[in-house]
Amino acid sequence: MSNKVACSHCHLEFNEDVMIKDEEHYFCCNGCQGVFHLLSDEGYDTFYAKAGNTQLTPPTQQYEDSSNFNSPAFYDRFVRTSGDGFNQVSLIIEGIHCSACVWLNEKALHNMEGVIEANINFTNNKANIAWADDVVKLSDIIDMIRAIGYNAYPYDAEIQESHANKERKDYYLRMSVAIFSSMNIMWIAVAQYAGYFSGMTQDIKTILNVAEWLLSTPVLFFSGWIFFRGAYYGMKTKVVNMDILVATGASLTYLYSIYITLTKQGEAYFDSVSMIITFVLIGKFLEVLSKKSASDTLDIIGKHIPSEIHIIKDEKIILCALTDAKVGDTIVVASGEKVLLDGKIVKGSGSFDESSLTGESEPVYKEVGDSVISGTISIDADVHFIASKDFEHSTLSSLVHLLDSAIAKKPKIEQLANTLSEYFSSVILAFSFITFIVWWWWPHSFEVAFMVGISVIVIACPCALALATPVATLVGISIGASRGILFKEASHLETMAKVDTLVLDKTGTITVGKPEVVNEILLEEFDINLLYSLVTSSKHPVSKGVAAYIKKSSEGLSSSTFDTFNQHQALGIEAYLDGIEMYGGNYRLMEQKGIKVEHISDKTLFFFAVNKKLVAIYELSDKIKEGAKEIIQDLYSKKIDVIMLTGDNEKSAKKVAKEIGIHKIYAEQSPKDKADFIEKLHDNSKTVVMVGDGINDILALSSADIGIVMGSGSDIAVDVSDVVLLNDSLISLDDAFKISRTTYSLIKQNLGISLVYNGITIPLAMGGYIIPLIAAISMSLSSLLVVGNSMRIKLKWKNN
Amino acid sequence: MDGWLIAMMLGGSIFLGGLALMAFLWAVKNGQFDDEEKFLNAVQFDNQEDLNDAVNLEKKKAKLKKEKSYRPE
Repeated sequence: MSNKVACSHCHLEFNEDVMIKDEEHYFCCNGCQGVFHLLSDEGYDTFYAKAGNTQLTPPTQQYEDSSNFNSPAFYDRFVRTSGDGFNQVSLIIEGIHCSACVWLNEKALHNMEGVIEANINFTNNKANIAWADDVVKLSDIIDMIRAIGYNAYPYDAEIQESHANKERKDYYLRMSVAIFSSMNIMWIAVAQYAGYFSGMTQDIKTILNVAEWLLSTPVLFFSGWIFFRGAYYGMKTKVVNMDILVATGASLTYLYSIYITLTKQGEAYFDSVSMIITFVLIGKFLEVLSKKSASDTLDIIGKHIPSEIHIIKDEKIILCALTDAKVGDTIVVASGEKVLLDGKIVKGSGSFDESSLTGESEPVYKEVGDSVISGTISIDADVHFIASKDFEHSTLSSLVHLLDSAIAKKPKIEQLANTLSEYFSSVILAFSFITFIVWWWWPHSFEVAFMVGISVIVIACPCALALATPVATLVGISIGASRGILFKEASHLETMAKVDTLVLDKTGTITVGKPEVVNEILLEEFDINLLYSLVTSSKHPVSKGVAAYIKKSSEGLSSSTFDTFNQHQALGIEAYLDGIEMYGGNYRLMEQKGIKVEHISDKTLFFFAVNKKLVAIYELSDKIKEGAKEIIQDLYSKKIDVIMLTGDNEKSAKKVAKEIGIHKIYAEQSPKDKADFIEKLHDNSKTVVMVGDGINDILALSSADIGIVMGSGSDIAVDVSDVVLLNDSLISLDDAFKISRTTYSLIKQNLGISLVYNGITIPLAMGGYIIPLIAAISMSLSSLLVVGNSMRIKLKWKNN
Repeated sequence: MDGWLIAMMLGGSIFLGGLALMAFLWAVKNGQFDDEEKFLNAVQFDNQEDLNDAVNLEKKKAKLKKEKSYRPE
């Protein structure tokens, strides 16, 4: 009976009878219809052929006026002026599903008068647009993007990522030069080594040497520039680092080889020069690849705070810069908006989400006379309030300052490989020098002594050492990613393996964080569709919990529109449909309506009454996540101390703690208390993992050694965290510990392998038994060994 | 074997290889590989029309630039 048709624009399928029919086309909504006609009028209808059957997001009604994109404040922040006088902006385009979408957006923008460049990145949906401001305004461009069914909002390209991308690109360039040259040098070296064994005239040897010289020069000076720079900084801070070893080793070998080439005697070793640089560069690149860019944390909160605010001036609502709002101004907050200043409500009422302060998702009802706190979000409240503090002194602003200092104070645990390489490098440089002196004093020519000295550096050149950590952590990170655990930086794996204290938040971390139905009591027969319509029309977490439960337990639900519908704040919902009177809400609503209720429970209750008669009762509570108890026990057995911190009251905290077996609990903790608690643990020289999900945890998350966030947590929390658990489960937390420990043990093994290898070869080199040729071969061999060993993480992980 | 022959062959092939490397470096610097999805997928929509669009865009840019430079500051 139901006949599904796809919408001509977005290709989503719906029943035929709900679709808008327009000649031979069907549309699911007016938005799709509008976009479809616009595209055919403008001649962009080849878009549909290109998009194929890709399902698009139906265009949403845009309430927001695009003219604020033309405000000076906006231009100040996001618009750049290019060298030739054109304006540029970076936008994120919402709703891009396929390459045809990219094509359509670019095409539409290209055809606009005044737009001279529009380049959209399909992978991350970011667009770069350049235009002449005297011909077309930015708001027109935004309007065009919205008109064709997408949405755009700006982001600050400068701080966001340009830095990290630049560094990565720089490495690409240096690596491609190094790899190109090394590969060419290798085949020249084959000829050379063949000649070394079978005889070759000096002429040809010199030609090959010169060719290698040509190829290795860009490797040493362009690709190897990073090591020279590192060596310079190392010397400046008086630290003998790995870069010094690489730089001196490579440049000495290079100089020696030039000397050989020019005097036309002996063997040149340009191949070692380029191989060392290439290998260590690859190791460094892997490290850069898995590094969270420092810029990520810089502007985290900034991008979540709107820069403008609605205030009432001369009885008109005007938009003004947040920092310009003064104490005493009347501020307007609409439902869904974030409260940006502290103040007292003078008009209106409604519920606010204060989870940023308490972590609890239960909305708080506020009316005239109550104070609102900045950083909270209005759920359904349209209120006017008088600001009691300016932004500088608001709760939100002080939270930002605290976060800044917490990020700055975040302890950096020294990585094993770094500490090791420092000693290693100085020892090798000393050994090499001693070898050279001894050989020279022992009657040998300068050339021989120099070559033996160099061979010590070349053989010890920490290729394996440089690869030991990055390769292992990269494998660890990829295993994590495949199980929904995102480590943002490679070093976090190592830090996490050393952790001895685990701090958990309660709501949203140990528990699901939203009320779920645990018990259903049906008193009388009733139409489940009525209840479904009633609860889906409210955003209150309790209604949502009931709605989710009904959806799961019954099939073929359909929701209908009520004749009248009324939501009573902090009580429930009242609705009428075809003469049926319905109430859904808490005990107080039932009492008010004169319905007798005798059911008592310590859980949250939702009552449903039809025509003044109670028909169903739902008991809801915040459930504990699956497997929590076992995992806590498992962590205890790994000698990790588990502590629970919560903003909730002591009674419910104790209940949860008892159920899952945590002994140490601290209840009624404010965001600041949590961070202070972690500081205190640090003072007792503990290494701490903090697991949380909400804005109230961000201070603690950023001051802990490792901050772990549930994927469903708030954006800001995900941003400041070091590890994200995408599937929200505690099992992932346990996996994260396992992966990091396995990886760390393999890092130690890898470092062991490279040290043992050096322990054998360095004495041989000092004795003059190793010529740079063999050094180069064994160097590659040890690197392969380390890489191969790292791959064992996968195997080891499977066996666990 | 004549040494010059080897020198020329080596020189020639390194030169050609160098050219290819230069082209690659230019492409990376130019951002042609920044978007891995697009540079694989956009190929299927490459047609004459898009080429014309690109040319028009260049023309538009040049024209606007010219207008700008005429304007008294």
